[in-house]
Amino acid sequence: MTETNPQKFLPLKSQWFQVLLSLAGGEQHGYGIMQEVLNRTTGKVRLWPATLYGSIKRLIEAELIEESDERPAPEFDDARRRYYRLTPLGRRVLGAECDRLQELVRTIRMKQGMVTE
Amino acid sequence: MNFAWRIYRRLAQAFPHEFKVAYGTDVMQLGEDVVDDIAKRHGAAGLIRLIADIAIRVPIEYLSEMRGDMRYALRALIKSPGFALVGILSMGLSIGLTTNIYSSKWEMLFRELPGAANAKNLVMLQQSEEEEELSPVSYYYVEQFREQKSLFTGVAAFETGIPFNVTFQGALNAKPERVFGQLVSADYFSVLGIQAQRGRVFSEAVDKPGDTPVVVISDRFWRNRLNSSPDALGQVLHLNGQIATIVGILPKDFNGALAVQPSELFVPITSPAALAPELANDVLHQRNAKEFLALMCLAPGVTIDSAEAGLDAITRRLDEQDPTVASRVDKGKRIILLSAGTNIPIPRKLKPALIGFFVALMGLVTTLACMNLANMLMARGANRRKELAIRLAVGAGRFRLVRQMMSEGILLSLLGGIAGFVLAYGLGVLNSHFTPPMTVPIESNFYLDWHAGVFAFGLAIVCGIGFTLLPALQTTKADLTPALKEGSMLRLPGYRRFGLRNLLMVAQVAASLMLLLMTGFLVIGISKSSSIETKLDPNAMYLLSLDPVRDGYAPEKTEALFEKISERLRSAGPVRSVTLAAQPPFTGEVEPTQLSAEDAPGSSRKQQPVLKETVGAGYFAALSEPMMVGREFVEPDQRSHADGSKILPAVLNESAARGFFGKGDVIGKHISGDTQSYQVVGVVRDTKDVQGFSQSILYLPLTSRDFARPPAGGITIMVRSDAGRDALTAIRNEIALIDPTLNIFNMQTLGEYLDRSRSHLRFSIQTYGGIGVFGLVLAAIGLAGVTAYAVAQRRKEIAIRTALGASQAQVLGLVLREGAALVGVGTVLGFLGAIGLAKMVSALASVFVDALRVGTGDPRLLVGAPLLLAAVAMLACYIPARRSVRIDPLKALREE
Repeated sequence: MTETNPQKFLPLKSQWFQVLLSLAGGEQHGYGIMQEVLNRTTGKVRLWPATLYGSIKRLIEAELIEESDERPAPEFDDARRRYYRLTPLGRRVLGAECDRLQELVRTIRMKQGMVTE
Repeated sequence: MNFAWRIYRRLAQAFPHEFKVAYGTDVMQLGEDVVDDIAKRHGAAGLIRLIADIAIRVPIEYLSEMRGDMRYALRALIKSPGFALVGILSMGLSIGLTTNIYSSKWEMLFRELPGAANAKNLVMLQQSEEEEELSPVSYYYVEQFREQKSLFTGVAAFETGIPFNVTFQGALNAKPERVFGQLVSADYFSVLGIQAQRGRVFSEAVDKPGDTPVVVISDRFWRNRLNSSPDALGQVLHLNGQIATIVGILPKDFNGALAVQPSELFVPITSPAALAPELANDVLHQRNAKEFLALMCLAPGVTIDSAEAGLDAITRRLDEQDPTVASRVDKGKRIILLSAGTNIPIPRKLKPALIGFFVALMGLVTTLACMNLANMLMARGANRRKELAIRLAVGAGRFRLVRQMMSEGILLSLLGGIAGFVLAYGLGVLNSHFTPPMTVPIESNFYLDWHAGVFAFGLAIVCGIGFTLLPALQTTKADLTPALKEGSMLRLPGYRRFGLRNLLMVAQVAASLMLLLMTGFLVIGISKSSSIETKLDPNAMYLLSLDPVRDGYAPEKTEALFEKISERLRSAGPVRSVTLAAQPPFTGEVEPTQLSAEDAPGSSRKQQPVLKETVGAGYFAALSEPMMVGREFVEPDQRSHADGSKILPAVLNESAARGFFGKGDVIGKHISGDTQSYQVVGVVRDTKDVQGFSQSILYLPLTSRDFARPPAGGITIMVRSDAGRDALTAIRNEIALIDPTLNIFNMQTLGEYLDRSRSHLRFSIQTYGGIGVFGLVLAAIGLAGVTAYAVAQRRKEIAIRTALGASQAQVLGLVLREGAALVGVGTVLGFLGAIGLAKMVSALASVFVDALRVGTGDPRLLVGAPLLLAAVAMLACYIPARRSVRIDPLKALREE
């Protein structure tokens, strides 16, 4: 298959971005993703269950994430749950989205500086 | 919280199967994990949010699966373009034809008069139970009807098809144009419930007898002749040389009551006679001048039946008071009402038959296409049985597969719908090119209204769902084990079983034969020698029309004018003969009347319907029609005055002579109508009119009365000349020499006239013929599909038979026998169905009687159509059946 251009996914939907971001640190199950987002945003962003799995389904269809067959160490493993991880494409898309957002932040900062002067 | 959790669980169950298989448990578990936490943190609002989230998600997942289905279906269709093409074509043809029928015929017949608020309550008078023509009454009767406030909220009088010679202000040198309109009473528009789009309509309060003449124009007149000028109101028109001021413009698309004859000008009946010769002789106050049509608006709560009964009593009383009306002692009803809120008032008796006919026709066409689609999908499903079985085995839901197959059908239908809409549009445009030459020109700007579009697409979707559901259910009902085995085809469902597929096939053959026969009846009925055998070269006969009264001539001077013109034309160039008529030759467009023979054998004075045609001296000689008996009209006949006191000479055609007098001698015998008696002076042969019918005709001589009051089409001058192409110009110049202001219209050769008259007939024949052929082709495609399927299914059986020594002919016969049985049963059913339908329709609707009477008696059709269908069907079976012979037994058996 030919290389998919990450740019065609940008700008990412916010739920997609949150999911990809939580998987950036390693594989994670649905509940874990939800908790991670909740903690990271100090409770401001909650991915509701149906939306979360709807996003996961579409992210898998878009080949940005995949189900992982590696399980964590048995003492941490929750056998009932399925784990997901980023695909290389997913990682690149996440990187591209981060770059885009950073660019956006830089622009905003510059404008702010002009406004406050 | 428990309650919220229960709802959540229920909703999680509602996800589409595929989503549920993949994520159902996860969604459920995650919900279970977080529900306590959410309740603690966010309280009731959080729980509501949780439920809302899943409630929104469920339909989204369904939609996304449907999108997936559609994509899948599209890919599947692209992979088998032949199947897709045939499917789209058959759906497209059927939807196109149905939409076309709907938007041209149905709309014309059943659409309410645009803009008329009272359309539902309008009624008019019908002649009698047998005769469907509208019955004119005198203005006195209208006034009496108007008194019946308990029955009617209003009763208006009008006369339609009135020609006006119109000259526009500021264009004094321009030739006048001939425009048709209506003479209406002041309450006409209020009875209809019509408001002007600009200016005002007439009202009794404003428009009084003796006022300066005013006119209300139609939107069409305003657009086409005044270029939608904003200053049109108050503008002055010259109507028949008189001045009339435009006071109002009517709403778009409104062309008057009886819009089948569109009217562009509306003039009050109180206008002076100079403006409209129809109003001469103080016609409003003559008790027996039956010149007006009564348009009545039923009072709230009054039914047609009760109005009919009430009006009947009043009319009976009025008739008895009138000494001039021969006292009739009939007990039957004198008044029949028909509802008049549509373009064509349809007699109540006729309406169900008409609706039935169109619904049956449209239904047949659609059903055929749908059955075909179902058949094809089923055959296709059978080919995919293994694929489906594998998918079922690995856990795909049956509902899911059914949905996927249905989406294929829906997609096909939708694409067919688009194709059909294009086709309907094309047909409509074509149709508008073939407008017959009518006395009152009809506007042929064709448009498909959105009803037709919605109708087409609705139909497409319903068909798509309805006719793919069954095959989808059937093919997914596969018993997995044999289907997965290689020898799956060994299962012998046997043609003896009366399965769904065979049922569909029989129905399709029957329906297409019905369609073929019904359309065949019409085609033969219409075309049956619609060619008119003229005894002269129709291109050497020139027709033109004049209406001098409307050019400003005094009525009593017109006769002399015509004599002068005839004289002049006879002496001009190589003219062989010149004659006059009140209507073009071979027209079917004349009013029928009831007459009875006075001295008939058996003295049964039975009333007989005949068409009255009024012709001048030397008419038959000019058409090279020899008199069979007696003489034709001569100059002195033409000069006679028809005032009821004198007996007029008359010429009958054969049918009329036979009808009145049987086989006996007819010359010198008398015929009488309500107010006039006739003496037969000659008989001519029957000729067919441009509609292809030959009817009983009574020819009358043109009299001074006809000259003084020319009919709507003017007086037709018929010139037979050998001058060739220049003849028309020469004739025009000759007339201009006599009076340059005379408005010459409808100038053409007889050949052109006949051609134009028949072009729409030809078009209907092609349309109906097309529908019939369409059914035939569909049936053939369906049969071929089914046979191909049967052959594929019995591959192994055939291989074994061949291996055991069956000959090719035996194998072929085996396969064909099944097809033949289906075709046979279908043919018989279809034949009976068509005869029944034709009988039913013609019993109810005299509109079709003529066409169907001629058609149903035609042996070519009755024998030919079933044979043709059977032949095509068997050919369709044969082609795929041949494949059975080519099955290599070794290969087929090795597949085990």
